[in-house]
Amino acid sequence: MVRKTQQVETRLVAEYVKSQYSKFPSITAQPVGVVSQELMAEVGYTKAIRISRPNRPEVDAIVILPNYLVLIEAKVWHIVDGMAKLPLYKSLIPYTPELKEYMPRDVIMELVVPWSNPNLEIMCRDHGIVLKVFTPAWINEVVNRVTNYSTREYRLQRSEKLRNRELLGLE
Amino acid sequence: MVLQNHVILVNDVPARLHFTDHHIESRTITEPVTLQAAIRNTLVFNVDRLNGAPVQAVFSTMAEKLAGQFQPYLGDKSYRSYEVVITQRGDGYQRRWTVQFIPTKT
Repeated sequence: MVRKTQQVETRLVAEYVKSQYSKFPSITAQPVGVVSQELMAEVGYTKAIRISRPNRPEVDAIVILPNYLVLIEAKVWHIVDGMAKLPLYKSLIPYTPELKEYMPRDVIMELVVPWSNPNLEIMCRDHGIVLKVFTPAWINEVVNRVTNYSTREYRLQRSEKLRNRELLGLE
Repeated sequence: MVLQNHVILVNDVPARLHFTDHHIESRTITEPVTLQAAIRNTLVFNVDRLNGAPVQAVFSTMAEKLAGQFQPYLGDKSYRSYEVVITQRGDGYQRRWTVQFIPTKT
């Protein structure tokens, strides 16, 4: 039986960027950090980027404003992980060859979440992160589905749905 | 005019595209890892510019991770107002895409 997956945070960040920054250039899933100059000289720019891939984390999105780069992490689950990543990724921005043409610019860090809470607001404020609450209509359904995923009722309903799909030749 | 009907991405080489229209089509494919036949929805874009040169080509993807980055732009076809730079990285299930949306001047 096939397990269906869904790209929730990819969709959340894409919708957020379009709704807030549609007039500005943006980059999604951008690797950040150093690519060794020696390696570039030895094997060329493209291959050096490829070889460095495992050592370079990936930021969800970057928006290029006239005077700022906006670094965006969107999180539905594990929100603190997203918040913790932002200052670390920010430290790598000046060393990222793909972003060299946009520097020098100040960096704004934005954490995009569907819901907030007072502790999250305190932590973000203390670490210089701008907290953005963005709740598209579809997010409730996704979160309810995940929350209910392990309940007996939901598992029965789901296995019946998958069985019907197989019977109808939709799998 | 570049004589190319289908845009194929090369790993780590950015491709700059301008889309004019899109549709979703069902295709029967053979899964490269499991070798099983499967029906997959494919997002297909019509391309009229590739790396600055005029073309009449299509670009398609069945990867939800890539298609998801275009999803907000599909309903109103607002991708027409952008040049899109796609850089493909990695292989198989580890494949990733960096997508840059650059608003066009017009």
